[in-house]
Amino acid sequence: MGRPMVLKSLNMVVSGVGGQGLITLASLLAGSAVESGTKALVAETHGLSQRGGSVEVHVRLGDVIAPLVPKGGADLILGLELIETSRTAYYLKENGCILTSDMLLRPGIPNVKMPKREELINFLKKVTDKVYVVPASEMAEKVGGSIFINSVMLGALAATGLLNGLVDINILEKNVRGLRMGEKNLEAFKLGFDYCSRGRCSCR
Amino acid sequence: MSRILGKEGSEVLLLGNEAIARGAIEAGIGFASAYPGTPSTEIVETLAGVAKKLGIYVEWSANEKVALEAAYAASLSGVRALAAMKHVGLNVAADAFMSIAYTGVRSGLLIISAEDPSMWSSQNEQDNRYYGLLAKVPVFEPYTPQEAKDMALYAFDFSEKFEHPVLMTPTTRVSHTRGPVRLGRLRNPTRKGFFKRDIERFTLIPAHARVRRKILVEKWERITDAVSDVPFNRIEGDGKTLIVASGISYAYVREVLNLMKLNDVRLLKLGTPVPLPRGLALKALDGVERVLVVEELEPVVEMQLKALANEEGFSVKVHGKDYVGYEGEMTLERAYSAISEFLGLGRGTPWKPSKASLEEVPELPPRPPAMCPGCPHRATFYVLRRAVNSLRLKPVYSGDIGCYALGVMPPFQQQDIILEMGGSVGTANGFGQVLEGQIPIAIIGDSTFFHAGLPALVNAVYNRSPMLVLVMDNRVTAMTGEQPDPGTGLNAVGEPAPAIKIEEVAKGIGVEKVVVFDPYDTKEAFKALREALEYIIKERKPAVAVAKRACALLIDRMARRRGIRTPKYQVKLDACTACGVCYNAFTCPAISVRDDGKAYILEDLCTGCGVCAQICPFNAIVKVEEGDKEWEDLWF
Ligand SMILES: Cc1ncc(C[n+]2csc(CCOP(=O)(O)OP(=O)(O)O)c2C)c(N)n1
Repeated sequence: MGRPMVLKSLNMVVSGVGGQGLITLASLLAGSAVESGTKALVAETHGLSQRGGSVEVHVRLGDVIAPLVPKGGADLILGLELIETSRTAYYLKENGCILTSDMLLRPGIPNVKMPKREELINFLKKVTDKVYVVPASEMAEKVGGSIFINSVMLGALAATGLLNGLVDINILEKNVRGLRMGEKNLEAFKLGFDYCSRGRCSCR
Repeated sequence: MSRILGKEGSEVLLLGNEAIARGAIEAGIGFASAYPGTPSTEIVETLAGVAKKLGIYVEWSANEKVALEAAYAASLSGVRALAAMKHVGLNVAADAFMSIAYTGVRSGLLIISAEDPSMWSSQNEQDNRYYGLLAKVPVFEPYTPQEAKDMALYAFDFSEKFEHPVLMTPTTRVSHTRGPVRLGRLRNPTRKGFFKRDIERFTLIPAHARVRRKILVEKWERITDAVSDVPFNRIEGDGKTLIVASGISYAYVREVLNLMKLNDVRLLKLGTPVPLPRGLALKALDGVERVLVVEELEPVVEMQLKALANEEGFSVKVHGKDYVGYEGEMTLERAYSAISEFLGLGRGTPWKPSKASLEEVPELPPRPPAMCPGCPHRATFYVLRRAVNSLRLKPVYSGDIGCYALGVMPPFQQQDIILEMGGSVGTANGFGQVLEGQIPIAIIGDSTFFHAGLPALVNAVYNRSPMLVLVMDNRVTAMTGEQPDPGTGLNAVGEPAPAIKIEEVAKGIGVEKVVVFDPYDTKEAFKALREALEYIIKERKPAVAVAKRACALLIDRMARRRGIRTPKYQVKLDACTACGVCYNAFTCPAISVRDDGKAYILEDLCTGCGVCAQICPFNAIVKVEEGDKEWEDLWF
């Protein structure tokens, strides 16, 4: 068995819709990183973005100083909703990885023209070869509702191997269990993890 | 135990604002006040959460001016105090701020103005470091949560040493960045004090103020000398090129220099942009051939450095905004291309989004922030439009700052002006006097009403300006995270407090027509609004309408936490004609559209308010399940 490759730093943009628990996800990940002895920075925007608008959270782990990920500099886009994943795709560096939930949410404005799911996924595939669409809606539903999508996606992320050497997965799991409705969140985390395990969402 | 009270020496992940709160606790503060405002809110929110445990006093003040004045009084009485606000809040508190510099303070007074470059949640991106120059108050500008904590602690000692207030200006990317923070020692707070009279110092009549002015100028000299020794200012590396970076710009510049592997650059890192540390700046300028200042917003450091270089006879040209630009926040790309161009290496950066991600993006619908499912404001806007139309009025909607500002979006577009807090009633005063054939409708929230709307309403009564003042009273300061306000009935630490009724206030200052309605009852709302509007047309005087219904987000969260069931609604598909009123004209985010144009309700998002059932022209939306009895009791 070869030594797993370890990144010196990991730049990711987490995108989704206000209310999907992006900040919970990002701060749980970063808190687990710090507990694992890794430096972590999470840049959030509060206020207006909470009201069901587009939200993007920048997470930087490892050898980093500034809080924001440059456009074209992200190793990973972790998307909680397909339109928002697509909207933030330009953050991805060449050959970066996109891990997105299959959730599609209609914006609350009049006369919306909704893009088709396939259209969005095809676009993402043009951006990079490494696109993994996790059936997170169904998994979250199984656990108890769409509020668990963030934990599903965190589990999926944990299985990609990107966190190796930066975040101890046991610490991450412990902190997921520490959330409100911890057991359910852990169940969601494991569904996401299993889906992406054994190299099925290989971001290397 | 709360992370914020963690053990000395431990390292925890803290939001920048939490770190500032921790720094203040380590400094032993006994008093904290604020009016909420993004990105500053969590500073005092965090302190409120531990106030009882620590035995310190924490309040949400009615506005920033009161917050600052109250904190100032605590400081004069020997209690270390903090007042926090967003950057535009300092405009409201500016009158007090300017004068406090004249009298100085006793125990440490830290004023925090959270800046918002890029205007993530603000109406402007003014640079409040200028306020430091204007008032002669030193400005501390942190670059990480860790430094923010350390600075807060340090600032109290600094303030006390010079008997002078200190202004700290974290930006959104410090206030709202989480990062590791190594905690220091907790100090026991001093909560009670004694005011020792010093009339010549604290009463700024002209004769006293002239003396204080002299003292201020002299003190500013001493502070300018002292900031060279502040540990948040330092020189790193050496070379013939000098780059100066203030506040968070240092983080970006440091990372860019590391990336470029430039070893022959001298970097002056500033944590106190105002006043520019003269001694240290002179050392930094010595022997360099070119200088670039990297800072966000205005050229505050650049100007001071240019003046200093000129005064001291340096011939080196100081660059800054010519490479860095003015607008928006700092980013790695911006710092990289400015430095690269300045060094003659071209404007490129090493980061490249893929071509497809820029050029082949499918058409994506915008997703602006929207009023939440069940938001009482949406119901009020919907009914207001119909009441106005039913009287064939031509309204001018003077809007204001709060969640109801989202009424500027389609389909409502019922905000013609949004200026600053309280501006709705203020501008309606002028409209009321000059408009013919149009009627001013000021739309203001409860928190904003208490903050700065009240004097404008007094003005309307006094000067008889015809207008409708519609107070969207959702019982809390919702936009910034549902903090209690003077109308809520709770204080900052969650204890019961007097609930000031807006309708009583209006009557008390002489408004003759005051109506109160529940926006969830659209018939009653329509009637009340019509009645108020008819009064204004007939009497040409101001009227007040209070739409009273608590923030649905808050109530829904309480219901979910406590496992209380909300009423359930459904669309009867056989009755639905796909007219779109509920999703296109009312636009509740909990209502979605099927492929055939008929509506359906997203059960996860629905709060059970039932307004859609009232506005559906075909009675196709029906209640299918009652909520628990306790649900009704949650509303206050
Ligand atoms: C001078 C100033 N202080 C604070 C803010 C931040 N702020 C924006 S909206 C708002 C609160 C509005 O509360 P309310 O009027 O009750 O309306 P709601 O959001 O509850 O609808 C605050 C505090 C600001 N924009 N300007």
